[in-house]
Formats: sequence, structure tokens, C-alpha cells
Amino acid sequence: MLKFEKRENIPLHLRILIPLISILLGVLIGGIAVMFSQVNPLTVYKAIFIGAFGSTYVFSETIVVAIPLLLISVGLILVFKMNYWNIGAYGQYIMGAIFSTYFALNSAETMSRSILLMMMCIAGMVGGALWALIPAALKAYWKVNEVITTLLLNYIALYILKFLMYGPWRNPRSFGFPLTKIFELNAQLPKLISHTRIHLGLIFGIVAAIIIWIIIKKTKFGYEIRVIGENEIAARYAGINIAKNIILAMVISGGLAGLAGMAQISGIIHMLQIEINPDYGYTAIIVAWLSGLNSLTAMIVSFFLGGLFAGASQIQMTMKVPIGIVGLIESSILFFLLGGAILTNYKLYYKGRKII
Amino acid sequence: MDAIVLQAKNISKHFPGVLANDHINFDLRKGEIHTLLGENGAGKTTLMNILDGIYYPDEGEIYLNGKRVDIRSPFEATKNGIGMIHQHFMLVDTLSVLENVVLGLESQGFYLDKKNISEKIAKISKKYNLDINPYAKIWQLSVGEQQRVEIIKTLFRGAKVLIMDEPTAVLTPQETDALFKILRRMIKEDKSIIFISHKLDEVMKISDRITVLRKGKLVGTVDKKEIKQKELAKMMVGREVLFRLDRNPMNRKGEILKIEDLETHNDKGIKILKGINFSIHGGEIFGLAGVSGNGQKELAEVIVGLRRAIAGKVYIKGEEVTNLCPKAITKEGTNYIPPDRLKVGLVPNLNTVENAILRRYDREPISRGIFLNYEEAAKYTRELIKQFNIMVPRENVPVKFLSGGNLQKLILAREIREEPALLIAVHPSRGLDVGATEFIRKKLLEERDQGVAILLISEDLEELLMISDRIGVIYEGEIEGIVDIDSADINEIGLMMAGVQKNPLDK
Amino acid sequence: MRPDAYAITIILLAATVESGTILLFPIIGEIFTERSGILNLGIEGMMIIGALVGFVTAFITGQIYWAFFMGMLAGGLASLIHAFISITLRGNQVVSGLSLTIFGLGVTNFYGQEFVNLQLAHTVPQVIIPGLSQIPFFGPILFKQDYMVYLSYILVIITWFILFKTKVGIQLRAVGQNAQAADAMGVNVYKIRYFWTFFGGLMAGAGGAYLTLNCAPFWLDGITAGRGWVAIALVIFARWNPPYALIGAYLFGAINALQFQLQSMGTTIPSALLSMQPYFLTFILIIVATLLVKAKHIGVPKELGIPYAREEK
Repeated sequence: MLKFEKRENIPLHLRILIPLISILLGVLIGGIAVMFSQVNPLTVYKAIFIGAFGSTYVFSETIVVAIPLLLISVGLILVFKMNYWNIGAYGQYIMGAIFSTYFALNSAETMSRSILLMMMCIAGMVGGALWALIPAALKAYWKVNEVITTLLLNYIALYILKFLMYGPWRNPRSFGFPLTKIFELNAQLPKLISHTRIHLGLIFGIVAAIIIWIIIKKTKFGYEIRVIGENEIAARYAGINIAKNIILAMVISGGLAGLAGMAQISGIIHMLQIEINPDYGYTAIIVAWLSGLNSLTAMIVSFFLGGLFAGASQIQMTMKVPIGIVGLIESSILFFLLGGAILTNYKLYYKGRKII
Repeated sequence: MDAIVLQAKNISKHFPGVLANDHINFDLRKGEIHTLLGENGAGKTTLMNILDGIYYPDEGEIYLNGKRVDIRSPFEATKNGIGMIHQHFMLVDTLSVLENVVLGLESQGFYLDKKNISEKIAKISKKYNLDINPYAKIWQLSVGEQQRVEIIKTLFRGAKVLIMDEPTAVLTPQETDALFKILRRMIKEDKSIIFISHKLDEVMKISDRITVLRKGKLVGTVDKKEIKQKELAKMMVGREVLFRLDRNPMNRKGEILKIEDLETHNDKGIKILKGINFSIHGGEIFGLAGVSGNGQKELAEVIVGLRRAIAGKVYIKGEEVTNLCPKAITKEGTNYIPPDRLKVGLVPNLNTVENAILRRYDREPISRGIFLNYEEAAKYTRELIKQFNIMVPRENVPVKFLSGGNLQKLILAREIREEPALLIAVHPSRGLDVGATEFIRKKLLEERDQGVAILLISEDLEELLMISDRIGVIYEGEIEGIVDIDSADINEIGLMMAGVQKNPLDK
Repeated sequence: MRPDAYAITIILLAATVESGTILLFPIIGEIFTERSGILNLGIEGMMIIGALVGFVTAFITGQIYWAFFMGMLAGGLASLIHAFISITLRGNQVVSGLSLTIFGLGVTNFYGQEFVNLQLAHTVPQVIIPGLSQIPFFGPILFKQDYMVYLSYILVIITWFILFKTKVGIQLRAVGQNAQAADAMGVNVYKIRYFWTFFGGLMAGAGGAYLTLNCAPFWLDGITAGRGWVAIALVIFARWNPPYALIGAYLFGAINALQFQLQSMGTTIPSALLSMQPYFLTFILIIVATLLVKAKHIGVPKELGIPYAREEK
């Protein structure tokens, strides 16, 4: 009945249509789910849109949400290109936050702002990179499945954070709440635009996206990564050192996730706490995939998914629509994207007649 | 004894670009062993796949015991009493023998009565001398034993006609003798067997009748008693050799490649090279003839560093390179045109430029520090495209959309441009059209004139005769003989390819 | 052993069984899914869907066993999304499974809002098996549990039996090891993969439902806390063999029960470090398991994650 036949070339219009239709269908599914909850989906979507882009302030908040998404997702793009599944960005993010907090708590008095912030950035990147190095080495040398190792490390990182927050790093004046003391001004990333919360992290993100784009497109390292990801046998035959590339790419990816963690606690939260936004680990994966593994596109996609998240956060309070709608919509979009991917390589026939 | 059990009338089958079977007539008598003989690409496997229901013929009919049958799937073939034993076994290695035997069997109930099944298998084993332990796992068995499992599978399903595709290709001489005993036993029990092979001495030993195919056409069907090996070889390879390309006289230079007593295993762990000795000089094309499966592919892989040699040595330009990694061997001035274009030689989803630079992306001018100079890369690629007349729709299209001929030209171009001292080309014109084929052969000759040593491994005897300076024949992992092209007799070569040794080893 | 130490040991081991049962269902489910060649990383999503549906059904109807069944079914239905994408549409199984997890977390957050922190009036009733529960030491641990636990015992035995002693089992193993050979022998590769992926979903839903019906028994967003991922890791540890799944599940359950007990007893060890232990253990286990699974005949189903398409040569 349903038959697939190999294509001779990838039609250009499909390459654009399929992602677009996936987005539309995903949003549709979200709307249907909302309907079951006896809320008018159009009202919800309108409210989300306004909550994301409706005023200058919420627009800036959308950017705020997009910053860590962008930083993490461009790192993921690098490793996904190599077919290495880093699901541990959240853990790397946490470790980056933890490492940079060390300096924030201990060196705020002794270092000038610029030096302190630089140390925090480096510490953040180192923390994330180290956390990524573990599963990378395990895969490179012992072939241990990276999906599970990176993922378990997420939970372990979270518990390390909890330990620090309930233990040695807890602010004695926080009434028992697991928070550190608020960072001194020295340890806070400067704002970029006054009257908003947009901080220097935005520059980090944009720079990172460009650097990753350059790496993938223009360097030998990026070339080797792409060859490994597309045909590992040919890569081996061409003499490419696969282990080295896995480790290097993961160190970069983890470093970027760690930097995102640092940026978030330094630029927005101004302290270390337990809730430093759990969705960012998975949402970043969705951004990476939806961007077609292109870090420049990721700037746009992280902006819009950030908007979805920011807008949904708004209506969570005002319309009692739970934040889960975001995951619902995002995963639905992904499902359609994944399912539709076959159409780029195969023609669809139904009962003998060609459909697509 | 004379009743015709199976008859294929006027069978034709097209594939894109090639007529695999051209109005073939074939019949099988009850209780006979009928061999289907021919070179690679002659159409034997296609014809058998039609009988087994894997392909459906464009023209022609099949009759079983006089009745017309329509076979649309292997399942239906089995229902009609036809059992095929493929060259690559359809066995699940983690399962046991009896589990493989009953896999997919309709009559098998939910519970696996292992005792019952193994008794049934034992009965078949005893009847046909197919010694096997029903509880052994497939991965534990030798190739010969695995083949027996395949035979048991067909007998278990009541097969009356057995088709065996190159069964002895993977067997030792002793295992082959054991197999022949089993086959003779089976025809006594009124089974009929179609035997596909290219090994003449075995064919002469086991067959009752022999049908020869060549390039999709039927050459003839003869009675074993009425023919000699030499005539069969002639039927197999044909008398005419197509036009000869204009070749300059050979300008032989120093020794570039030397192979000494080389031995290696194939992917299944069986020794496939049993002591190879030969050498190639600069400025000559050494053609290695032989039906595929005799070790050629593995020989090439050992030379370029993709496979471990277990004994023997490889020397390039006097330096020993045995078992070095591919990158090091490439540095010694060796380049490789692999038989599997899209799996090893290219990255299908990357574009032409990215594939073209696979050998030199880490050298100037394409490499510039940590960066890739794409302008230089594109320039280089355009040179390749021009020089080698490669048809590329757009530079940034993934190469998987290029035609086979153009893919091969791309690989050839890339490797030749590295200016190797030694070039190893395996089946370079396989599956290509006439134009691309001619182009590739011309280019190889050009390289030879420039002083490159070329090892040309090909199933196409014509091709080898056309451009080689010397031809060596590989058979069952050894060099049967080496002849100079000027004194080469095609029938002699055909005999060597089929295992009939005429000349003592010629260094 | 001193009487109170003895008593505590019994309690801990009984808790181990309870806690391990949450994992045992999804581990067995995924063993069968992966044995067919399909990699389903959506277990966390299916588990939490099962957890919510089970909880809500119990909350509304008060019928525990019916709730368990509904939770199972919900997990199974969710798995069909992944099955369709992976099998018929030959999509990327890693990303599809991840999407299923994100979907599950999102959907349950969305519809679970009104049930947060609510408690079930009745939880899974304890069912003491007469006679067997009198066996010294093992009796109270194994046979003073509930029907779900007993179901899990039977499940381990039945699935082992099916896998190695029946036609269904060899077809499954063939499909996962050499889909082309299975196809050539007339086995319907697609049907088998759909069936066992669905089974995996049922099992994941069962594990989630058991969590909220018995061990919690309240609803919280994200209550599965990564157990789905642990289950996937333990599938490798179990080397795709049901009896070993029991060992892995109970190992995790033991550490979990132990750290929980320590925390409630008031230990000086920080609670976060204790809560970490089960995940840390799983991390070590998967490294060990990978190193041990080097022999290729006791290993990963060869077809795992590779879509099957019968191509004409």
C-alpha cells in the first residue's frame, strides 16, 4: 500500500517545506492538547506571542532565555555533526556554574571585575569541559554508549549541586534555603542594554555561534568531524584520528555548556541555586536539531524557542497553562521533522500512485 | 532419470543498463547435478534468483514437473520445492542450528520442542551424511558446517530441487570432497541439484550436465562425458577479444612493489591468502585475474594497510610496509581505488569538493594552518573535473547523486593526482558504462607511461588483456601463474582462473 | 544477627524488591524492544505517562488494578509514535526516542498540574502469599509484596521462556541479529518490531504506574526522576537477558532503599550525596557492562538502531 522509492536528487522545495510544515503541525498538536484542557488554543497562542514579543521588555526577556539556549546548542551542533550524542549538556552547564561560582564566592574581594569575570568564564568552560571529557574518553577508548553516560552525569552533577547548596556553599543568611549568597557586583556580568536583563552572555552566544560555524565549515577539524559523522569507515581509511576528534569536540561542547551556566548565574540569577533552569539541557537539543545542525540558523531558532518558553512562562501564571505545553509543542515539531525526513530521500507511493 | 523436473523457458531479465539474462533456456532432469558455469557477470546468479523468487523475469516461463508456476517470493519457491543455498548464508549467528532450521517455518508451533526437532534433523543428517550438532550456535561452526545447516534447512522444508550458488568458494579441499559425497547421496534419493561454479576441475568432477552462460546469453548445454575442460574454458571466456587499446611499449623501471609469502584471513577468519609472491615495477600494469572470492580484495586491503597480514611481507620502494596504518602507506606513495565506491572511497552525503580533497586536506595549499582553503579546494576540484571529464551537476550536490561512472572518475582523479609510485585499482570499471570504462582504462595507461606501478585487479578478463603488461592469475589464495601479455593465451588464462594449473609459478 | 539488625535487613531487602520492581518492568520491556532492533530512548517519557495515567485513574476511580492497567496501556500507546517513526518512516531513532521523552515530560506536566501533591486514598494493597511467606528470611522479602511484584516475578520467568524456548523468541532474536536473513526466511520484520516496541511501552507504563500507585503514592511533576534512563543503562548491564534484568533492577533498588533508609535515619552523610549513589552505581555498571560485552556473541543485537528496508539489488 505505502511504498517508498529512492529519489535521484533532493528537491530544494522539500528541504524548506518539511521543516516549515513540521513546525505548523507541531503547533497544531499543541493547540489540540490545549483544547482538551478546555482553553481556547487561539487565545493561548496569542498570549504566548504577546508574552514573548509583545513589548520591548518581554522581547528582551526572550533574548535572555535564548542566550543559554544558543550557547549550549551550538556546542551540541558540533558533536551531533559527528554522530556523537551529547545528552549531558545540562550536567556540563551545572558544572560550569559550579566552577565559576567558586571564584564568585571567594575572589570577589580580591580581583577586579574584569579579571574576576574572565576567571569565572574560564572556570565555567573548564568545569563544563571536564564534565564532558569523562564520557568522551569513555566512548573514544572503551566504546561506552555516550547517551547513557552523558545522561547519568546530568543527575550526578545535579546532586553535586544540591550537596553544595545544602552544605558548604549555603548562604548562612538564607533561612535554610539552598542558595549561595548573592554575587557581588564584581561577579556579575555587565548588562548590555539598560532596563533589560540582557547581559554580556549574548555576545558570548553570538560569538560562539560564529566560531562554531567557522570551525565546521572552514577548518580541517570541522571537515574531519563531518567525514566521521557521515562515513566512519571512509574517515578511518583517510587516516582521521577518531578518538582525538571525539574528545576535542566534546571538550568544546562541554565548555560552551559550562559557559552558558556561568553566564546564567552571573548575568541573571546573580547567585548559585538549585533551579538553574532544567529545561535547557533538552531544549538545546531541539534547537540544534531544528536548526538543521547549522549554528547560524541556531541563532534564529533559539530566539524563537526562547520566545516560546518565555511566552509560555508568562501565561503559566496568567492563564494557568502549565509550562509543559512547551515540551509538548517542541517534541511534536520534532516528531514531524523526523518522520518527514524520509521524504527528502524517498518518494512516497500510495496504492501505486505517487504522492510526494 | 530422464524426466525433466524444472524447466526455464526463454527467460529474460533487465536491470538498469544491463541485460542480465537474454532469452535463456535451461532444464533440469530428475536426479542429476546440473552445473551452471560462467564468469562473473555472466548471469548465473540472476537466473537462479529468478528460480528462487527473488527476481521476477521480464520474459519467459518456469515449469515444474511440466506445470507452469509463478514464483513471486522465496516463500513461494520453497512451497514449490525449490531450495536455494546462497553464497552468503542466511543464518543468524547467535541462534543454534535447530533454531535457524525452524526459523519462519509455518508448521512450527509456539513451543519449540527441541528434542523433537533435533530428532528430525538427525534423521536428515544421517540420511545425507550431513553431520551436525543441532544445539551448536552458528558462530561456533566452521564454514563447511554452516553450509550443511543451509542444506538441512532446505531439506527440512521438503525441497526437491536444490540450487547451490558457488558452494565451494568458501570450502577447503577436504570440505569440498565431503560436500560432493553429500550431493551424490542426495541425487540417489531423487533430489535434483543445480550447481553454480567457475571452478572447472570441480565442475568436471561433480556434474552430469553443464550449461555455460556468457554475458547474459546461453552458450550451450553439454553432457560432461562429451566435453573436455579446455573446450569448457573456451565456452566460458569466449574466443573473441574486443579491440585492443593502443599501447606504448612498456618502459619498465625499478621494482616498486614486492610481495613475499603473504598470508591473511578474510572477514570470517579463514585463510584466504596462502602465500602470495610477485612484484611489480614502475611503468608496468600488472593485471591480477581471477574470479572474485579467491583473495584479490583481501590482497589489495593488506597492501594498503586496511587488513592485517598474518605472515609474509610487503615492500614498497624497498621499504617494508607490512601492517603499517593506511596513512603511513599513503605517505610511501601508494594510492588506492577501492572496489566499494560509496562505502570506503567516498562520503556519500558530502559534496564533490569535500570528497575530492580527502587525500590532501591536511597539506598546503588546501590546508592553511587550522583552516581549509576552500578556494584552493574548489580550484583543485575543478581541475580534477576538467582533466577527468567528470559530470557534476553542481559542485555542492552530495556525491551520492552522481552516476557510478562519475564517482569512479572522481576517485580515480583524486588518487592519481597524488602522483603515487604505486596505484592499486580494484574492479575500477565495475558497473560503468562504455564511455566511462574506456576513459578509466586510458587514464591507467597514461599513468603507466609516466612510470607508475599499477596493480590492476579485475574480474573482467577482457579489460586485463587490453591494458596489462603482465597477467597473474590468483586462485584460492595463491598465484597460479604469471604470463607476459604478448605470449598470453586467453584459454590458458581461463583454465588457470578455474584452477587448472598449467605453468609452474613464474616469478 | 541481632534481632533489630535482622529486622532492618528484612525491611531494607523488601524495600529493595519494591523499588526494583519499578525498574524491572521497563528494563524487560526495553530488552525486548532492543532485541528486535529498535532503540527506544523514550522510556522516561513512557514511564512518566504511565505514572500520571495510573495515578489519575486511581484517583478518580479508586480502582488500583484498573489504574495499573490504564497506565500500562498509556505507555504502550505512546510507544507507537516512536515505532511509526522508527520502523515505517525509518527516522533517526536516537532523536525520536529523546523526543518521546520530552513529549512525555511535557504532556504530564501539562495535564498533571491539577493533581500535583494530591495523594491517593488507597494504594496497592499488600498481598501475603500463604505458606511461601513463611520461608525464613526470603519469605517476608519476596512474598509479602503485592500483585504487581508477583507479576514481575512471573514476567521474568515467562519472558525468559518465550525468548529462548519458543518460536516467537527465535523470530525476535533473528530480526534483531540479522534482519535480512529473517526476512529471507519469511519472518515479518516490521510486524515483529512494532509488536515488541509496543510491549516495551506497556512495560514502561507499568513501571511508571507502579511508582505512583505504590511507592509514591502522590503525583509530582517529573516524579520518575530519571529512572527511565537508568533502565536503559541496565538493559546493557542485563546483556539483553531477562534474569539479569532482575539483578540490575534489584541492585539499583537496594542502593536506593539503602540511601533512603540512611536519610530517614538521620545520617551525617549529606542527603544529596546519598541520593546520588544509585545513579553513580548505574554509571559504573554501564562501564563495566560495556567492557564485558566485548565478546560479540553475547552482545548488542546487531541490528540495533538500524532501520530495515528490503532493497532490490
